[in-house]
Amino acid sequence: MGEIEVTALKGVNLQIRKNEYVAIMGPSGSGKSTLMNILGCLDTPTSGEYLFNNVDVSSLNDDELSAMRNREIGFVFQTFNLLPRMSSLHNVELPLMYAGVNKQERKDRAVNALERVGLADRMHHKPSELSGGQRQRVAVARALVTNPGILLADEPTGALDSKTGDEIMALFDELHNEGNTIIVITHEKEIAEYAQRTIFLKDGNIFSDEPNSIRNK
Amino acid sequence: MQFEENIRVALRGLIDHKFRSFLTMLGIIFGVASVIAMLSIGEGAKREAIAKYQDLGVSNIIVRDKDLTVQELEEVRSKFSQGLSLNDANAIKNIVPGVEAVVPQAEKSVEVKFADKASKSTLIGITPEFIEVLNYETGYGKFIDQMQYDRGLKVCVLGAGISKTLFQSREPVGQMVKVEDQWLEVVGVMKSKALFTETVGELASRDLNNDIYIPLSTFHKRFEPENELASELKQLTVKIENSEKLMLAASVVEEIIKRHHYNNPDYSIVIPYELLKQEEKERRIYNILLGAIAAISLVVGGIGIMNIMLATVMERTREIGIRRAIGARKSDIMSQFVTEAVAISITGGIIGVILGVGLSLGITLFTDVTTFIRLYSVFIAFGFSVVVGISFGYLPAKSAANLKPIESIRYE
Repeated sequence: MGEIEVTALKGVNLQIRKNEYVAIMGPSGSGKSTLMNILGCLDTPTSGEYLFNNVDVSSLNDDELSAMRNREIGFVFQTFNLLPRMSSLHNVELPLMYAGVNKQERKDRAVNALERVGLADRMHHKPSELSGGQRQRVAVARALVTNPGILLADEPTGALDSKTGDEIMALFDELHNEGNTIIVITHEKEIAEYAQRTIFLKDGNIFSDEPNSIRNK
Repeated sequence: MQFEENIRVALRGLIDHKFRSFLTMLGIIFGVASVIAMLSIGEGAKREAIAKYQDLGVSNIIVRDKDLTVQELEEVRSKFSQGLSLNDANAIKNIVPGVEAVVPQAEKSVEVKFADKASKSTLIGITPEFIEVLNYETGYGKFIDQMQYDRGLKVCVLGAGISKTLFQSREPVGQMVKVEDQWLEVVGVMKSKALFTETVGELASRDLNNDIYIPLSTFHKRFEPENELASELKQLTVKIENSEKLMLAASVVEEIIKRHHYNNPDYSIVIPYELLKQEEKERRIYNILLGAIAAISLVVGGIGIMNIMLATVMERTREIGIRRAIGARKSDIMSQFVTEAVAISITGGIIGVILGVGLSLGITLFTDVTTFIRLYSVFIAFGFSVVVGISFGYLPAKSAANLKPIESIRYE
C-alpha cells in the first residue's frame, strides 16, 4: 500500500548452462540487480519462471530459498560482506554451519577453500587485518566452500584497484577452468571480457546476448 | 552446532560491548537482587514470628488475669469473681477434652538482692511442667522439680539476664539470693531468650530473661499477694494434645472461665497459633506486594533488553543480510537473537543473584532485620529473569528474522 510497483525486468528469457562463464552488463536501472537477486534466490519473480536444475524456484518458500542459497549459490559481493568480528576461517565456515555440517568437517573444508584461493596462511586473521584483495579472496572461498552450482559475483572488482581486480578475475578464470559456473554482474567492459558470453540489459530487457569474441578465440 | 555458534556470537557481543551490556543488564540485576532481598526479608520475618509464637507454644491456650485498677478489682470482686485461681486450672484440666497439661502461674514484682547488688525482677510461681509446656530450657543447673514443688522449698531458677546482673561471671548455682524477706537457693539458670519486643495479643512485652521462677507452693506460702484483692494466679497455660482441636478446646476453656468468673471480663484468652496464622496472612499480602514491586523492576529490565536488542538489530542489519544470503533461515536468525537476549538476562540474573544474596546478608549484618534466603526464591528470581529475556528478546528477534535479505545486505 502506498508503494508503487516498478517493473524492473520485463521479458527476460535466458538459459545458462553448467560451466558457463557469463557476464551481465547494463547501465544502472537496467534491471541487473533484480536479475541477480532472482538468479541468487534472494528474490522471486512476480510472474514468470526460474528453473534451477529443473526446480521451479518461484514456487519455493522462504526456508527452501534459504537452503537453495546455502547449497547452490555462492555470492561474491562488491563490498566483500564478511562478518567483521570473525576470523577468515570462521567466515568461510559459516555457510557450512547453516548447512548443518559437523565441526571438524566444517573446518577441513573451510581450510581447503582458503587454500584454493591462496589464503591458507591468513585464516586466523580478521577481515580488518587483510587487504581488499585478500578480503575478496576470503569472500570467494566462502562462496566456494559449499560447492555451489553457481558462483554469483556482483561487481567483484568494484572496490579493488585494477591490479588486485585482475588477480581476482584470474582466480575466477581458474575456477571456471575447474568446472564452476560463474555469473559476473558488472558495468565494466574489461571485466565482462573475461567471460565467455555477455548479456547486455537495457530497460529491463535483454538488449544483446552474445559470445565474447576475444575470449573464444 | 547452530546453538553453539549462537552462544559464541552472543557472548562475543556481550564482551565486545561490555559497558552497553552492563547497562542493559542493570534492570535485570536490580530486579533479581530486589526479588531475592525482598523474599529473604519476608522469610526472615516469618521465621522470627514463628520463633516468637513457638516461645508461647503453638498448641497452647493462654488465659491471663487482666491487670485491673483497685476500683475495677473491687467491682469484679463485688460481682463474685475471684479472679484467676487454681479452681479454674482444675476445672479446665477435668472438663476440657484433649488437655495435656495446665500450668498455673502467679506473678509478683519484687526486688532481688545478692551481696551488694539489687535488681527489679518479676517473681513467678510455677509448677514443674512449666518448662516443658512453654518450651523453655535451662542454661545450667536444673529447673524446679516435683519434690521441690511438693515440699514448697525455698529454691529458685534465675532468668539469664537477672543471673548476669547479680552474679556476672560468678557461679550462681548454690548461692542464696534474697527476695523481699525470703532467702532462696539458686538451683538453675534459664537459657537466654529472645527479647519479647512486641505485645502479642494481650501479653504485654517484657524481658523474660529478668524473671525468677520459684515453686508455686512456695510462692503462696512465703510471699504476700500484691494486695488483698489480688487474684490467686496471673496466668494459666493450657497445652492441648492435638493442635487440630485447639479452637474447640479454646471455646470450652472460655466457657468455663466465663462461668467461674460470673461473666466478669477480668481475664483474656490468647491463642498463639491463631495469632501466628493471622499475622502470617497479613504478612503474605505484604510480601506479595513487595514481590510485585520487585517484579516490576524485572519487567522494566526486560523492556531495557528489548530496547537495546532492537537497536542491535538495526545496527546489525547488514550482518543479518549476509547470513541470510549464505543460507541462514529465518529461524536461524531468530534463535540467534533470542539467544543473545537470554545471554544478557542470564548474565544479569547471575549477577543479580549474587547481589541479592549479598544484600540479604548485609541487611542481617548491619541492621536488626532478620533475613533468610530460601533456595526457591533464588530459582524464582533467576527463572523469571530468563523468562523476561526470552519474552522481551522475541520481538527484536522476530523483526531481525523478517528483514528482507536483499534490502538488509545493501543497508548502510
